[in-house]
Amino acid sequence: MPKLTHIDEAKASRIRHTVWFALIAIVVVWFGSIPTLDGNLSLYFSLMLWVTMATSFNIIAGFTGYMPFGYVAFYGVGTYATAILVVNHDISPYIAIPAAGLAGVGLALIFAPTLRLGGIYFAIVSLALAVIMQRIVGLAPEDITGGSHGLNLGQKTERQEGYYAMLLVLVAALTTVTWLARSRLGKALKAIRDDAEAADAMGVNVQRSRLYAWLMSALFGSLCGGVQAWFTGALDPITAFDVLVTAKTVIYAMAGGLATVTGPVVGTVILVWVDELIWREFPVLNNFLLGLIIALLILFMPRGIVGTIMQRFPRMRRLIM
Amino acid sequence: MISEVLLWNAIIGGVVFGAVYALIGCSLNVLAGVLRVINFAHGEFVIAGSFFSYALLNSFDIHPLVALPICAAAFFFAGIGLYYLLVPRLAHSDEPETASFLLMFGVSLMAVSVITWIFEADIRPMNFSFEPINVTLFKIPDAYGPGRDGRVLVPTARLVALVVNLGLIAALTWFFYRTLPGKALRATTMNREAVQIVGINIHRLSAMAFGLATALAGITGVLLALVVPSIDPNGGPDIALVGFIVIVLGGLGHPVGALFAGIIFGFVEQFSNLLLPQAAAQMVGFIILVAVIFVRPEGLFGKGQLK
Repeated sequence: MPKLTHIDEAKASRIRHTVWFALIAIVVVWFGSIPTLDGNLSLYFSLMLWVTMATSFNIIAGFTGYMPFGYVAFYGVGTYATAILVVNHDISPYIAIPAAGLAGVGLALIFAPTLRLGGIYFAIVSLALAVIMQRIVGLAPEDITGGSHGLNLGQKTERQEGYYAMLLVLVAALTTVTWLARSRLGKALKAIRDDAEAADAMGVNVQRSRLYAWLMSALFGSLCGGVQAWFTGALDPITAFDVLVTAKTVIYAMAGGLATVTGPVVGTVILVWVDELIWREFPVLNNFLLGLIIALLILFMPRGIVGTIMQRFPRMRRLIM
Repeated sequence: MISEVLLWNAIIGGVVFGAVYALIGCSLNVLAGVLRVINFAHGEFVIAGSFFSYALLNSFDIHPLVALPICAAAFFFAGIGLYYLLVPRLAHSDEPETASFLLMFGVSLMAVSVITWIFEADIRPMNFSFEPINVTLFKIPDAYGPGRDGRVLVPTARLVALVVNLGLIAALTWFFYRTLPGKALRATTMNREAVQIVGINIHRLSAMAFGLATALAGITGVLLALVVPSIDPNGGPDIALVGFIVIVLGGLGHPVGALFAGIIFGFVEQFSNLLLPQAAAQMVGFIILVAVIFVRPEGLFGKGQLK
């Protein structure tokens, strides 16, 4: 095999990106036309939602190596920020959603000191913080959060607009990770993940790079929550801060392969489809099979589908992002 | 001014629940220390123990105290089986601790659906009581004003559970510090490689540790069904979270530290229930967890031998 020259690699990279953006364009046209074609709006919405969640989770988990097991905190805060603004203050969702994104970033800033913790401590603290958020929201005054009953946006929002907003957030998230993967910041993050001390010695600002990844990840997580509230029109503290939301995000991202751009997308598309199939065919066994899939993935394919392909066939690295 | 009776109830509740939390933390820490497995499914193991005792009581009329050793034996062997099924493969992954966390999350989902499939999703009452139902520990004269004495009552089942529990804690402490397998387990926590050099079969020891932790979880379940006589098939995550708080407080991978931390947490919980509004009381535990991790990540009793 001839050695790759620098120019070859640049060419391959260009081809890779062209194909990838062409695929995104196709998806936009396809998903964008679903409402007019009377497709299954809910299925396509949840597909977009989970692809975005898995992709933004990948920014912190894949590129940076943290495992925020309370990732749902951002999602939940996004849903509540949106709902409170829309229901209590009569603000248009077009303003409420960006505000929800900011709320998520604010929360991430408050949680930023947890980035000092490593490995499993970070995961446990993150989980605890998500539970605390759930309790705070559930126990807040009822005229603000609706207490344990939650809030209802039904009258004030349009489902189809929420669907298009999700498509917009999806494209934004995919563009961001594609940019991140080859940006200076993305390379710094991977260097830090592999060896923080070495990266530091090379002049990478470890703390600031991690913080940027953390904030980006939180931003998209809370945007997802906000758009979800817009689309479904109802929320309560139990479902908005459900551990299962984190779990699904983690599973989808890991199934595809963390630290790759395409991994979370591939993983989500396959598993959401499998999940749908399981729900339809074996409603009783749904959670059992979900658990089984997680266990099998961790045991037999810890690098995920895309990661495993890249490991088995090193030449494919040129074609996959 | 808080009534003296309520104060005593909080103290007794603190000891009773604290001892249960201590057992949960201890078994979690055996796994965390020896195997580097953070068992997300631990709450489900405990609940499986409760249902085990429930099924024995309802189907065969077996007394929960008799169910205790049966449960321990059954869970011990189930744990060893589970070990060989799951854990050796984890060694291949890039980051075993996080991978184990996710793996056991999958196991917990499976366990919940198996439990709800067998027993259905309702909360089950444990129809069992000792004679007499309550024991009066002592009387407080004039607790509710002149001439009206207060009595400090404890359900007999709770008292029995506490006695068994304290006996187990004593036995565990003896096991970890005075027996060869116990010392080997502690040594493995401190240095996995060195233990292999001195000729300990690490796989057999790990399997035994997993069996021990699972058996302890099952026993905790039986005792918990005595302390709180209603079994919630979906209560697993709450139990696991309490367990995480306890092991972090006591030091990750430090079984004896978890025993102390469990009792402390029991007291904190009971007293915040007594002194704070319900909303705030539920959060105290989590706030302590976060605070301890920032101030003393090695735990209150850890000596920093773990990273």
